[in-house]
Amino acid sequence: MTDRSTTSLVAAAADGDESAWAGLVHRYTPLVYSVIRSYGLSRADAADINQTVWLRLVEHVGRVRSPQALATWLATTTRRECYRLSRLGRRTQPFDPHDDAYHGLSRAADATAPDEELLRAERQQALREGFAQLPPRCQELLSLLTADPPASYREIAERLGVPVGSIGPTQARCLHRLRNCPALAPFLAASATQANGGERDGAVAAGR
Amino acid sequence: MEPWPPDDDHALTAELGAALWAVGPVPEEFLAAARAAFTWRTVDTELALAELTFDSACDAEPAGLTRSAGSARTLSFRGGPVVLEIEVTDAGIVGQLSPPHGGRVSAQTASGSYDEAVVDTVGFFSLGPPPPGPVRLRAQTDEYVVATAWVSLR
Repeated sequence: MTDRSTTSLVAAAADGDESAWAGLVHRYTPLVYSVIRSYGLSRADAADINQTVWLRLVEHVGRVRSPQALATWLATTTRRECYRLSRLGRRTQPFDPHDDAYHGLSRAADATAPDEELLRAERQQALREGFAQLPPRCQELLSLLTADPPASYREIAERLGVPVGSIGPTQARCLHRLRNCPALAPFLAASATQANGGERDGAVAAGR
Repeated sequence: MEPWPPDDDHALTAELGAALWAVGPVPEEFLAAARAAFTWRTVDTELALAELTFDSACDAEPAGLTRSAGSARTLSFRGGPVVLEIEVTDAGIVGQLSPPHGGRVSAQTASGSYDEAVVDTVGFFSLGPPPPGPVRLRAQTDEYVVATAWVSLR
């Protein structure tokens, strides 16, 4: 499933292919879920928003132009529905406080502004997509390097059957590919625009 | 604003790790609901989709317009020339369809239809109180078939 491009999944789903739809769900529910979580809503509200967003996408999927457009549409729609339900103020009774999942969802609607949360969620989605486009070798190495707890270079070398000394350079090459993958391109363009537009960053850019 | 993705390999590796591992698993009920949404896919080319254009719960009132007082929530949907306006209270939904045509309207939840009513010749209809969760209205007249976007009405 991971080797099908989002573009082909979107086209197939719009054409009625249920397994393609399941592929989109698999790929994008973490994005929707992470935006919802940032709002600290009840679990029932969270579930209703998730369902609303996917029902809306069923109607919208035929009009999606690019994977980036899909991620942005999902994040924006989710965020708007979170706002709507938070304004409705329904079910003011807190949910079962012993429900672990509720604790997970109510994780403070605190310090981080929704804008930042949204950007963070979109970036994380772009990283996951970029990662999915990397060669299997890179995916394996980066998974091991980012695992919790992280694997040591020696363990990684053994797992992959490569010399310890090659891991650093391979990591650098894989990250280079990640930075240059299509999924991250819109963000590169965005920070370039902002760097040129912002006064302080503009000065930095001019000094290069 | 910092350039993103970060140039530093350690920083990028850390962000990738957060993206890959920190979101936590999506609850199975969320996945199931998302997959099941596909059963609402329609191939009905006659059906026009009316997008949500106003919701008193979260949009500022249009200037110069005085809405009916009280606890009623009002929503407007528009699809091409068709406008569907509803008022939602604890007692139920009253709505109007324009341009006015007689017909039928059904109120749907993700699991099926919860109520159905006649649309009179001036476009008025009333429906029972909506259950929690996303709902949409589907109206069928002699002239057009329209379905609203899904939205939680309470």
